Amino acid sequence: MTPETAVVQALNGISFGALLFILAAGLSLIFGMMDVVNLAHGAFYMLGAYVTLTVVQRTGQFWLALILAPLLIGGLGLVIEPLLLRQLRGRHLDQVLLTIGVSLVIADLIGLTWGREIRSIPFPSGLDHAIAIMGGDYPVYRLFVIGFGVGLAVVLAVVHQRTRIGALIRAGVDDAPMLAALGVDIDRLFAITFAVGAGLAGLAGVIAAPVFGIYPGMDVDYLIYSLVVVVVGGLGTLSGAVAGAGLIGPADTFGKVLVPQFALALIFAIMALVLLVKPTGLLGRVRIAR
Amino acid sequence: MYENKGLERRSYRLTRRRFLAASSAAAAIAACGPAATPLPSGATPTATLGPTLKIGQLLPFTKVYAELGNSMKRSTDLYLKLKGNKLANRPVTVIYEDEANDPAVGTQKTQKFIDSDRVDLMMGIVATPIAYAVRNAIDAAKLIFIETNAGGNALTRTTTDCKPSCKSKYIFRSSFSSYQISYPIGDYFATKRGVKEVFTFVSDYGFGNESAADFTSGFTKGGGKITGGLKAPLGSADFLPFVTTIKGQQTKDIYSFFSGTDAINYIKAWTQLGMPAAGYKMNGAGFLTEQDVLKEVKEQANGATTSLFWAVTLDNAENKAFVDAYQKEYNLLPDVFAVQAWDGMQAVDLALQAVRGDTSNKDALIAALEGVKFKSPRGDFEFDKETHNPIQDMYIREVKVQGGQAVNTIVDKVARVIDPGK
Repeated sequence: MTPETAVVQALNGISFGALLFILAAGLSLIFGMMDVVNLAHGAFYMLGAYVTLTVVQRTGQFWLALILAPLLIGGLGLVIEPLLLRQLRGRHLDQVLLTIGVSLVIADLIGLTWGREIRSIPFPSGLDHAIAIMGGDYPVYRLFVIGFGVGLAVVLAVVHQRTRIGALIRAGVDDAPMLAALGVDIDRLFAITFAVGAGLAGLAGVIAAPVFGIYPGMDVDYLIYSLVVVVVGGLGTLSGAVAGAGLIGPADTFGKVLVPQFALALIFAIMALVLLVKPTGLLGRVRIAR
Repeated sequence: MYENKGLERRSYRLTRRRFLAASSAAAAIAACGPAATPLPSGATPTATLGPTLKIGQLLPFTKVYAELGNSMKRSTDLYLKLKGNKLANRPVTVIYEDEANDPAVGTQKTQKFIDSDRVDLMMGIVATPIAYAVRNAIDAAKLIFIETNAGGNALTRTTTDCKPSCKSKYIFRSSFSSYQISYPIGDYFATKRGVKEVFTFVSDYGFGNESAADFTSGFTKGGGKITGGLKAPLGSADFLPFVTTIKGQQTKDIYSFFSGTDAINYIKAWTQLGMPAAGYKMNGAGFLTEQDVLKEVKEQANGATTSLFWAVTLDNAENKAFVDAYQKEYNLLPDVFAVQAWDGMQAVDLALQAVRGDTSNKDALIAALEGVKFKSPRGDFEFDKETHNPIQDMYIREVKVQGGQAVNTIVDKVARVIDPGK
């Protein structure tokens, strides 16, 4: 591998990592707060991509989709949490099973609504060209994905550390029953958390749609990636999602081109290694048993 | 026919419900019920009609190949509609099942066709691993099976200890073998185009590897040299790393096997990295630029040269009639999968006529299938008696933008390609 190629591959890896971060952030948030591994996360992501498809087909406005899809899917989360998940609060395994059911229903409804063809959307205008990097063309959209991922991480960190809702989330992650005892409306907080997590999955679907395509089965493909990221990085923390995505994105990219035979196993090998050495993940916290 | 459609829709919905309640045996029985019932009106019994012919179609209706299954179902339904829902004077019931792109599910559904539906013929299967997985069960049950897509070479070949699969007298294939779509273009590149060097980049699973190997043997036998190769795991989301690697080496002609989403992502990454401007040429087995891909990537695939046994633009009377009928019925252009299913039905139809609808004498029906010859939308079609793989022409196609539309144009033809069978 020449130095030029290595630099371009590093950019590829970082942009994939940035996308994985956008995808995994919502999963991590929901888990941290509600102790639920939301296996419908991939379905929310898929729904985000299909909403983008419709918006782009109808209006040609990718940026409209970027606003509309997270709101719609966040709204869906706002309905699903009180209607379904809340009924099983405290029964974590049952909640996880429920999210599998939700994901199957969403995936099938998508199939009925949008059909089962594979689809693709063009890159948004303004970001559909390439610029010269290391003597070759490099797609601007990938740089945009990196910038967007970093920007989102900063925004989430500020919200997490500096705002009241951030403080409530941090407190809820530590000890939700105590927070409830202090008079905080925990039902509302959980619903909001779930909605934001779902909205983030939808956002990832919008960002990924021009690059990775839109097809039946994409929900499962990316659910697995996002699970690996949060497990490696540490469940339930924002910095964990950053660390996990920052490691898995480049590792997956370089693994594919350097050891292609081992590429699929590589990220799982990393996951296994991290779990052996540090079972809570790279930046995971020891959870208080309750 | 209206009733027939309604019936299929009902059975399909039940199948899906069963998917949600996979463990529920009761639901499973319910799902078998209506599909197996004789047609309410399509089968208006008259004295001259024979007993109902049951065809089991095992196709993907969920997951990534769902649209392939839908396309093949549309084609099958259309064929039967045009024939008044009768083949060789027997009313036809088609039982559709979802193979879900999973060998375990495919095996279970095949067993259902054999044991509880007792179908007269079986057709379908998109993915090669499923075809390999059900091969022994079909052979043991002496069930005549027309494979309408999966192209793994071993399914119609003699192999050592039948690994990973091997031909069976009961199995016919109306689609292609990966040799047929890969070897001839390799030979063609070396001998007709004068290409000296090629770099291969294929999907890293059985079929992609077979395609690369067959292309390589055709190309090197013709005097060409393979300078290197790269493989992408199936369903690799991000193709930029691979295309970056291809750009990092000097050979300009690339041979690829990808289909569906992979092909779309590959072609988009190819354009994004400015490969055409850097002098690289995309070539491959025809699925790389088939309609499902082409309608999404459009002019980005411009210039790609591929080989396949059909193109929607193919200029012959049968293809025109087929494309017109399909468009009229569904307001959609047919794709290659529709052609494969169509030809499977044609072969069955002609063979049944030859034995006067008698499916009980398997040997006679096999001999009849071996004897069918007809004009397909793809050109002349017949089964190789040795292997039961089709003997067919391969077209060298180039994607060109005509009137704002990206289409596969036929630039050359390799006549009567026969799988070597070993």
